[in-house]
Amino acid sequence: MREIEKDLTAMKDTSELMLDLAYSALLYHNTDLAREVVELEEKTDELYDSILNRTLEKAVKDEGSKRGLVYMKMADSIERIADAALDIADVVLRDIELHPVLKKSLKESDAVILRKKVSPRSKLAGTTLGESKLASETGMWVIAVKSKDGWIYGPDENTNIKAGDIIFTRGPEESERTLDKWVSH
Amino acid sequence: MVKKFIEKELREEHEEIEYEDTNVRELLTLMKDNSELISDLAYAAIAFDSKDLAEEVSHLESEMDKMMYQIRLKCMLSSRTIEDAEQLSGLLQVASSAEKISDAAEDMVELLDMDVELRPLLPHILRDAEEKIHTLKVYKDSSLVGRSIADLGIETQTGIKIIAVRYKDRWIYGPSGETKIHGGDLLIIRGVEEGYRELKKVAHAEESWGQVIS
Repeated sequence: MREIEKDLTAMKDTSELMLDLAYSALLYHNTDLAREVVELEEKTDELYDSILNRTLEKAVKDEGSKRGLVYMKMADSIERIADAALDIADVVLRDIELHPVLKKSLKESDAVILRKKVSPRSKLAGTTLGESKLASETGMWVIAVKSKDGWIYGPDENTNIKAGDIIFTRGPEESERTLDKWVSH
Repeated sequence: MVKKFIEKELREEHEEIEYEDTNVRELLTLMKDNSELISDLAYAAIAFDSKDLAEEVSHLESEMDKMMYQIRLKCMLSSRTIEDAEQLSGLLQVASSAEKISDAAEDMVELLDMDVELRPLLPHILRDAEEKIHTLKVYKDSSLVGRSIADLGIETQTGIKIIAVRYKDRWIYGPSGETKIHGGDLLIIRGVEEGYRELKKVAHAEESWGQVIS
């Protein structure tokens, strides 16, 4: 049972990362980010299958258990949220010029997405996201990091940030000025 | 009569759109913001077994349907060329994914109509999520009391987003910056653990807001 709940939680986290990445892809017309959404969608499909299988096994073992319905319905809803993220990524991958209103609209959202370069003098350079406490001190959540070695999507507290990295973040608009300070010194 | 009214509305919208598409932009922003609020509310409704939150999810979902209809009309009316149509179809796809999210959220809260024997439904579901959802009670002597969310800068200072506030017997969903915090309020919040621990200390009057943000 715990395994199923773990899978559901993983699905939730993945679907939210997918949405953040999809909106970032849209805002910066970035196909790398959009392609990652497609990859992650496959991951949610796998999780979905695993939840279904476990639920069915359990239903066969404990005859008449209705618990499984809760898990299946939940997995189904989260899967649809992941699909919605895929639809957004698809707009970027279709290679049609994006409507100018899209970008304007995203910039006015409660949760804005920003792209910043980490300067060598930044206090973020050389620390992990956990050490710098960027999220709890500025309200900005890092969605993806692009470094010389490639992309890190959905970084965690152990992710190292280096000078020259480009970070994509999500958070309240009012935090942009604080973030600017953090990435510059 | 109704038909005439609709025709008039459409004409007015049409005229508006010829000069400026501000409305489409505002609608799309609202739909995106709503889709984020609605999924947070749905997860919170499941985790805390709350019919109130579930009802708000259903309400927001029907609002989203109306907005989707509006944005679709506006886009159709403003399309002139094949290039327009291509760009607008991309825009509509983004709007419709926001609507899809709200549909999924509404389906999720239908779980609350299920048998009593299945309760609680998923009390642990969000225990290991990256950004957890918590409830937080504001004590009367907390230094948050009497100040607005924007004035405190809760999200920028702690990374914690307030999804809903229960003040006396009334809920405020997706509170704005002007919403004031009262003693005895119940907050439903979402964010990183570190920020939650800090905010909890202030809400429980163990530390002052000034101490936490310094």
